[in-house]
Amino acid sequence: MPQLNPAPWFAILIFSWLVFLIFIPQKVLAYKFLNEPAPQNVKKSSSTNWLWPWL
Amino acid sequence: MTLSLFDQFMSPTLLGIPLMALALTLPWILFFKPGNRWSSSRFSALVAQFLKWFTKEIFQPMSLGGHKWALILTSLVLFLITLNMLGLLPYTFTPTTQLSMNMAFAVPLWLATVIIGMRNQPNLSLAHMLPEGTPALLIPILIVIETISLFIRPLALGVRLTANLTAGHLLIQLIATAAYVLMSIMPVVAILTSVLLFLLTLLEVAVAMIQAYVFVLLLSLYLQENV
Repeated sequence: MPQLNPAPWFAILIFSWLVFLIFIPQKVLAYKFLNEPAPQNVKKSSSTNWLWPWL
Repeated sequence: MTLSLFDQFMSPTLLGIPLMALALTLPWILFFKPGNRWSSSRFSALVAQFLKWFTKEIFQPMSLGGHKWALILTSLVLFLITLNMLGLLPYTFTPTTQLSMNMAFAVPLWLATVIIGMRNQPNLSLAHMLPEGTPALLIPILIVIETISLFIRPLALGVRLTANLTAGHLLIQLIATAAYVLMSIMPVVAILTSVLLFLLTLLEVAVAMIQAYVFVLLLSLYLQENV
């Protein structure tokens, strides 16, 4: 099986980790998410109900 | 040189230059960085949805100490899914069929989870060797078994991904060869074989996505045990 050929093992290891560490986190970190997920133990303060101002 | 069925998995070289480098770097041209707009493009919206869903799935059950791994695990799943899916196109090379690459990711990341566990909470990590409630007689055997299962984890991670993708690609090649050869001899059987090939390709698309997800999911489970 050609996958078991030990010759390029180390080169493949180094190169794949280099690509994985250099290119991908840049692309992943560029995505911005605008909501802040709050932990579940935060209590919501009770707010007054909004009503039309002229009623 | 006679062509064997495994030749599609040979590390590709052209005039002595390893093309594995191209196979690993070119897929990332497909992902653009989203701009500063609120909504950049359809593809970036899809990728953003996927990243958000994935982060929620993996890190919701994890304690806060493990959330530091969010970037590396998300990058890993994007890496593996892209390489797997692109490998299904004809004439492409799939780096994840190479055992060297999968072990290169499985062993260091698994070892990192074990070392983190041993350094921060050594008692708890060693306690994982013995499930609760085992009868006293079975304790020695079970310790040995659990230690073996701990050390087999990186091997299983790497080989699972390699074997799944290699087997899938091999099956596609075999059935496609059969369909092609039968086309001149028995066309109806060739058409049935082509239907089988189509269904198999659908299966391979699913397998490509699932195997990448399972790799990272198992790593996150090993992390949950240790963090």
